Amino acid sequence: MINIEWHNPSFTPGNSDFDIPEYSARGSMYGVSGIPHTQWNGVEETVGGYANGNWEAFIGTFTALYNSMIDDDTPYAIEINGYAGADVSYDVTVSMDADMSNSNQKVDIFVVEDNIWSYWTGASQYHNARNVARDWLATEDLNISGSGESETFSGSFSLNDDWNSDSVRIIAIVQNYSSKQVYQVTQVNINDMNPDIDDDGILNGDDNCIDIYNPNQEDSDDDLIGDVCDPCDNLVYVLGNLSGDANNLGDPVLDIMDILTLVDFLITGESHECQDPVMNINDDEHINIVDVIALVQIILNTSN
Amino acid sequence: MKKLMIMIIITFGYSQRLDPIDITMQEFEKIVYNASRNSQKVFVEDFTGLQ
Repeated sequence: MINIEWHNPSFTPGNSDFDIPEYSARGSMYGVSGIPHTQWNGVEETVGGYANGNWEAFIGTFTALYNSMIDDDTPYAIEINGYAGADVSYDVTVSMDADMSNSNQKVDIFVVEDNIWSYWTGASQYHNARNVARDWLATEDLNISGSGESETFSGSFSLNDDWNSDSVRIIAIVQNYSSKQVYQVTQVNINDMNPDIDDDGILNGDDNCIDIYNPNQEDSDDDLIGDVCDPCDNLVYVLGNLSGDANNLGDPVLDIMDILTLVDFLITGESHECQDPVMNINDDEHINIVDVIALVQIILNTSN
Repeated sequence: MKKLMIMIIITFGYSQRLDPIDITMQEFEKIVYNASRNSQKVFVEDFTGLQ
């Protein structure tokens, strides 16, 4: 389980910096009107029931909520890498092992500080504040939707001198902003991040294949995806070449197989990522029989 | 035009022959995908305060 504490400005002593401006926006997402309030995977909530910061009185309820959610299937995995110096650079990579629509899917990235020894007035006791929200770094649209796809979000932030850098973590989630459902979460201590996952001498943020060794960064089709990890050679997948055929010189070949593939797409609606950009033969807003006719014309004209 | 119509008719015929293999592959892919699905961690946002 990964948690984040959002401290309400109205219940934060004047000598504390636990309240941050982002509290309002995050609380508004869930209609938080008072504290304590917990929100589980964005969709289940508890309101009240325990002295601030001390979950002991509500452990039964929280255990039941946890058990109802743990190990649910999700298509997403999140990995966080980067480098912590005076500034912290991060790369959040979201990958998928099954299809899911990316409509309203977003990636949120937070900075938290863990284990801050604090006096909780409401509970009349000292105990650690856990994963206190220090910054809401980014909200990014998730553009991937298919199995095998991945997307990386990179950025940086400055460490505050008042923070204990050994306890600073980055948390990243995938959340649907319509349903509020959180589909995955990962956290990492900033000192545990890997700045060069594939150890090829190119930092993650500059690497055109983050997890495959390619020190020379070859990119034959100039699509900013390195050859060693590029599923689509855009020098072959040109307009109309849906089958990806090439001759012995590596030049794309348009033939009847491309017509068959386009017709098959019109019937089944299925295609792969290399085919999608090269199907709209007549460059209008639709992919339909008119594109088949246009492709046939191109092939006939080429063969003549 | 005649060549064009013949080609279109042939393509529809060939496309139907792809279906049995495609269907088998789709079912197999579903089994593999379900076996390899990620497990979700639980994320709790605690709106709280020291006072």
